[in-house]
Amino acid sequence: MKKLLALMLALVMVFALAGPTAFADDEITLDVIICQYGPNTNDWFLGTGMDGTNFVAKFEAENPGIKLNLEVISWNDVHQVVDTRIANNNAPDILNIDTFSEFVPDGLLMPVKDYCPEELFGDFFPAFIAESVIDDTVWAVPDLASARALFYNVDILDEVGVDVPTTWAELEDVSQAILDFYDGEIYPWGIDMTTDEGQACFAYYAWGNGGGFTDENGDWALNSPENVEAVKFAVGLVEKGYTNPNPATQTRYDLQDMFAAGKLAMVIVPNQLPTYVADKGGEINMATAGIPAAEGKTSSSVGVMDRVMAFKDDSAPDQAARNEAIGKFLEFFYRPENYVGWVSMEGFLPAVNSAVEALVEADPSFEAWLDVLATCQFYPAAKAEWAQVRQGVTTVEQEALIGGDVQAGLDALQAAVTG
Amino acid sequence: MKSPELKSQNRRALALLLLGLILALILMSLPLYRFNAAILTKKSSNTFVGDEKYQSVMAELETTAEEYRAQGFDVSINESVTERVNSKGETTSLITFTIDQVFSKNLFSFLTASLPAGHVFRLIFLCALLSALCAALGLVGSSDLLPRFLDGRARFLRSAAAVLALIALLLVPVFAMMNNFAFGRQLSLYGQELLTEGKEALYRKMDLFLFGGAAGENIGAALKGLSGRPSGMLCLLLPAFALMLLCAVQIRCGAIKSTLLRGLLYTFVVVMCIVVLYPYYVMLITAFRSNAETLDMYFLHMFPTRWIWSNLTDIIHRDVPRFLLNSIFVAGGATVLAMLCGIPAAYAMARMNFAGKKPFLGFVIMSQMFSPVVLLIGISQLMNTLHLNDSVVGLMLVNAAFNQAFAVWLLRGTFVAISPEMEQAALIDGCGTVSALIRVLLPMAAPGIVTTLIFVFINAWNEYTISTVLISTASNKPITVGITQFSSFNMIEWQYLFAASLLATIPVVILFMSIEKHLTAGLTSGGVKG
Amino acid sequence: MTVNAIQGKRKWEPYIWLLPSIVLIAIFVVFPILIVFKLSFSEISQGGVVGGFIGFQNYTEAVRLPAFKTVMLNTLWWVLSVVGLSTVLGFIVALVLNQKFRGRKIARSILVFPWATSLVIQASVWNYIIKYEYGSLNNVLLNLGIINQAINWRSSYTVEFIWECGVGIFVTVPFVAFCVLSGLQSIDGSLYEAATVDGAGFWDKLWNITLPLVRPSLTVSTVLNIIYVFNSFPIVYTMTKGAPAHKTDTMITYLYMLSFYERKKGPATALSVIGFLILCVCAGVYMMGVMRKEEEQ
Repeated sequence: MKKLLALMLALVMVFALAGPTAFADDEITLDVIICQYGPNTNDWFLGTGMDGTNFVAKFEAENPGIKLNLEVISWNDVHQVVDTRIANNNAPDILNIDTFSEFVPDGLLMPVKDYCPEELFGDFFPAFIAESVIDDTVWAVPDLASARALFYNVDILDEVGVDVPTTWAELEDVSQAILDFYDGEIYPWGIDMTTDEGQACFAYYAWGNGGGFTDENGDWALNSPENVEAVKFAVGLVEKGYTNPNPATQTRYDLQDMFAAGKLAMVIVPNQLPTYVADKGGEINMATAGIPAAEGKTSSSVGVMDRVMAFKDDSAPDQAARNEAIGKFLEFFYRPENYVGWVSMEGFLPAVNSAVEALVEADPSFEAWLDVLATCQFYPAAKAEWAQVRQGVTTVEQEALIGGDVQAGLDALQAAVTG
Repeated sequence: MKSPELKSQNRRALALLLLGLILALILMSLPLYRFNAAILTKKSSNTFVGDEKYQSVMAELETTAEEYRAQGFDVSINESVTERVNSKGETTSLITFTIDQVFSKNLFSFLTASLPAGHVFRLIFLCALLSALCAALGLVGSSDLLPRFLDGRARFLRSAAAVLALIALLLVPVFAMMNNFAFGRQLSLYGQELLTEGKEALYRKMDLFLFGGAAGENIGAALKGLSGRPSGMLCLLLPAFALMLLCAVQIRCGAIKSTLLRGLLYTFVVVMCIVVLYPYYVMLITAFRSNAETLDMYFLHMFPTRWIWSNLTDIIHRDVPRFLLNSIFVAGGATVLAMLCGIPAAYAMARMNFAGKKPFLGFVIMSQMFSPVVLLIGISQLMNTLHLNDSVVGLMLVNAAFNQAFAVWLLRGTFVAISPEMEQAALIDGCGTVSALIRVLLPMAAPGIVTTLIFVFINAWNEYTISTVLISTASNKPITVGITQFSSFNMIEWQYLFAASLLATIPVVILFMSIEKHLTAGLTSGGVKG
Repeated sequence: MTVNAIQGKRKWEPYIWLLPSIVLIAIFVVFPILIVFKLSFSEISQGGVVGGFIGFQNYTEAVRLPAFKTVMLNTLWWVLSVVGLSTVLGFIVALVLNQKFRGRKIARSILVFPWATSLVIQASVWNYIIKYEYGSLNNVLLNLGIINQAINWRSSYTVEFIWECGVGIFVTVPFVAFCVLSGLQSIDGSLYEAATVDGAGFWDKLWNITLPLVRPSLTVSTVLNIIYVFNSFPIVYTMTKGAPAHKTDTMITYLYMLSFYERKKGPATALSVIGFLILCVCAGVYMMGVMRKEEEQ
C-alpha cells in the first residue's frame, strides 16, 4: 500500500512539473472568467460544443498572439474566486458576472472606452449601457439579459373558469378560486424569497406598487410606504396559503419544476421557462402576461442583466497591446456568428443589435420578448450599496415571513445604506 | 437428563403461544378495515344553490346515483358550498357534490382476496397456524429435554415455530402498508390517470373483493374517491404475534435473553445499514433516471421506469475520469505526506520527554481552528509566492498540512496506549530508535494507523473550498470541484451530479475495504497493556 | 519509563522528530492564519482590496451586527447537538460493530459511506430527499404505504435546523465510531474475562474497562469534532443558506454571506477571528482537563 502511494506521489510530481509553466514574451495571455449559465456553457467555451470545436480554440487560431486562459466557474463559487484573486492582486483580465459597482471605487476596472472598439460599442442597446454607468463613465458592457414575466398554466385557469389576473385584487381572487377548486393540490401562485433571489421578489411587488429601490432622483428609497405595502402584500399571499409553502427555501428551480409538473398555476420567472419545461419533459399549455400591479398602478417588467468587464493590470508590459487584445476578445465574442449561437444556447436575450435579426429568424417568439425587454426596469446595480441592499431586502422579506415588522426592517435597512 | 420442571415450563410456554394465536384469530374476525367511498366527486365553480347550473348538475348526479342504487349500493348525494366575496364585491361560489358510501370488512375476507395484500395476509395466517402446530409437535415426546439434547426432528420443528412466528410478526406492517398503498395511493393515481399500467387487473380484483363483482363496468367510478383505513386495533396483532414469538423462542432455546439480545444486535445493524444506505439509494436511482424523471412530482416510481445507462457515458465524456484521477493524486499524496510527517511527531510526543511538549500539541490543534473558507486569501497568497497556483502539488501540500492535527493526535493516542516495553527490549537488543519504531511499534499500532490513514485520505478526497479557488485549469480540478459543472444557473442536472458523486465514493470504499483487515487485526499477542 | 530515559543524552532529538510536522503546519496553515489576523485589523473594500490598519473597527462592527446574537446561539446549538449526539451514537455503533457477528465486515464497510462522500454532495442529497413536492422521503413513504399524504418535512425554520443537525450527525457518526473502534481493538479480551469471573455485569465492564481505555480516542475525536463542526460550512449553506433571515445560519455560513453576499469583508474577517478565539478557549479548557486526568492516571 505504502509503495503504491509513494509511486502515486512521484507521479503527481512529474505531472505537476510537466505542466505548462513557461510562456513566450511576445504572447499576451488573458485570464478570462465566465460564469456557468447552462449545462453546455463549459462545452461551448472549452469542449466541443461549438460545432465540434470551442470558443477558445477558434479565438486563438484567429489571433495567434493572444492566449486565453479561460475558466468557467459555477455561480455558487464565482464571487469567492474573484474576490480572493483580487485580494492577492491577481484579478482576472476579463470577467463575466452580474454586478460591477463594488469594483469601481477601488479603481480596479478599466473604462470600457479604453478597450472596446467603437463599432462594437455602438452596437449595444443604449438602455443597457446606461445601466453600467457610474460618474458618467461606462465600466462594463452587458453580455446578455433576461426578462421576467408572469407565466400561467392555461389549462388550470380554464378549468377553474378564471382569467389571468392583472391587478393584486384579481390575483387574490384567482388564487382563492384555484385553491378552492383543487383543494390545495395545486399551488395558485409561486413566490421565491430565497437568499439568492429575494431582491427579484422585492422588485416584482415594489415596482408593481409604484415603489422601488430608488426614488426619482436615483437615491435609495427603501422604506417608502409603497414598498412596505408591497412586501406585506407578498407575505400576505403566503399567509393566505396561495403560494408554495416554503418560500424562503424554495428556489426558482423548485418553482419551475412545479410549474413543469402542473402543480403550480402561475409564477413570475425569466423567459427561458418554455425551454426549461421542455427539457424536463413537461407538456404544459402555458402563456405569458404582464406582472400584476396594485390597483391604479402600472405593471412593470423586470429585467436582469449580466455584464462583461475588464480589470486593470499595471504589471502588463504593453498596456496598449493588452487593451487591443481585450477588444479583440469582445469583438470576437459579440460577432453574430458566435454570439447568436451562445445566446440561443443559453436561452437568454441578446444585448447587441446585430444579433437581433438572426435570433428572431431562428425563433419568432423572440420578437415579443425583445419588446418586453425594451420596457424593462433593471436593478440599480450601479449603486455602490447594491450588494447590501439586495441582501437587506431579502432579509426583511424572510423576517416578515416569520412574523417580523416590515416597516421597522426597511427603516433599518434604509438607515444602514444611507447613514 | 430429564427435568419435570422443564416440562411444566414448556407446557406453560405452549399454552401462552396458543393464547397468542387465539387472540390473533379473534382480532382477524373483527371488521378492522373501513372503506369510505366518495364514489363520485364533482366540482362546479360559479354555481349557486338553486340556479340553472346547479339544477343541471344535480339532475346528472341523481341519474348516476340511481344507477348505483339499482345495483344495490346504499348511496347518498352530499354537497358542500364554498362562498366567497371577491375584491370587486361579487360573490363567488364553488359547490362540491359527492356520492358517498361507507362500509367495512374483517381481515378474514382478505383470505380469499386476490389483491396483493391478500397474498400477504394468507401468508400471515398460515405462518401463525403453522407456528403453533410446529411448537406443539416439537414438544411431543421431548418436552422435558434440555434444548441441547434434542434430536434433529424436535430441533427443526421448534426452530420452525420461532421462525414462522417471526415471519408473521414482520408481515403485519407489510400487510397494512400494502393495503394503504392499494386503497390510497394506487387508486388516487389511477383516478387522476397519472398511472394506467395494471389498472384494469387491479380494478377487477378490487371489484371482486369489495363488491363481490357487482360493480362490473362501473368499477372505475365506484373506486374513484375510495379510501380504506385500517382501525388502530390492527396494531394489536403485533403483541399477539410477539407473544407467540417469545414463547416459541423459549421452547426452542430455553434462555430467551441471550437470543433476544442477539436479535436486537442484528436489528440495530440492519436499521443502521438501511439509514446509512438510504441516501445512496437515492443517488443511485436518480443517477440513472432521465432528466425528465429526476423530479417525480407525483411520487409515481420508487425506481426509474427506464434505467438510463448512458448517463454514465455522458459524465465520462464530461471529464469525470480526469477529475477522479486528480483527486486520487491529491488525496493519495496528501495522505503519504501527512503520515510521513505525522508518525515521527506522534512518536516523539508519545515516547519522549522534552520541554515544549504541551505547547506543541496546542500548536497543532490551533492549526485546525480556522475554516478553510476564512484562510483562502492567505493560502492563495502563499501559493502565488511559491508558484504552486493551479497545481495539484500545491493542493496536496495544503491538504497534508491541514490534516497534520488529526494525524499527530490520533497516532499519539494510539502510541500512548501501547506499552513501551517491547520497544525497550528492541532498543536494548541494539536496534536504533527508527528501526524500533518501524519494526515494533508500527505493526502493533496498525488499527490506529489505518484509521488515521483513512481519515486523512477521506478528508483530502472531500476537500472543496480550497480547490475551488486554487485550481483554475479545468484539467487540474479534483472531482469535488469538477462536479459543480452539473449545477448551472439554468438547471441542475441531478442525474449527472449524483452519478458522478457515486463514482467519487467508490474509490474511498474500495480503499477502505482493502485495508479493513488491519483495522480488525488489533494488537499482536505478546503486547502488554498499560 | 520512556525511550528518552534509556538514551538519555541527545536533548535535541525530539525536536528533529517534530520538525517535518512543524514545518508543514507553519508554512501552509500558520502563515495563512497570520494573514487573517492582519486582515481583521485592516480596511477591506467591497471588491476585496486590502487597505491600511484601522484598529478594532472591524470587530466593533461585527459585534454590532443585528444577526450576531441569533447566529451565536445557533452555532452553540449546532455544535452541542451535533458533537454530543454523534459522540453518543458513534460510541454505541462502535460497541456494536466490535461484537463478532455474521456480516460485520460488510456493516463496517457500509458505515464508511457517509464519510466517503463529500459534504456538499451529502447536503445536496438530503436536500433533495426532504423536498416536499418531489423528495425521495415522501416518495418512499407513500409508495410503501406508510403515509397517505405527502408531508412538508421542512415546515418551519426550527425543523429545517433540526434536519441540518441531523445531516451533521449522519456524517459525523462514522468518524467517531471508527475512532472508538480503533481504541476498542487495542483492549485485551482477557481483561473482560477476568471481570466476568469477578462477577461484573455489562454496565460494570463498560464503565470500568471500556470507557477508560477508549478515552484517549474519544478525546481526540471530540476535540477535533468540536472544531470541524464549528467550522462546517456546506450543510447549512446547501440546505437553507441561512434562510429565513439568518435563523438557520451558523457563524461560518453567516460570515460567508457577510463576506460574499453583503460584501462586508472587514467584519466577516473579524468574526472569523472571534470564532477562532472562542474555539481556542473551549478546546483549550477541554484539553487541559483531559490531559490533567491522563496524567493523574
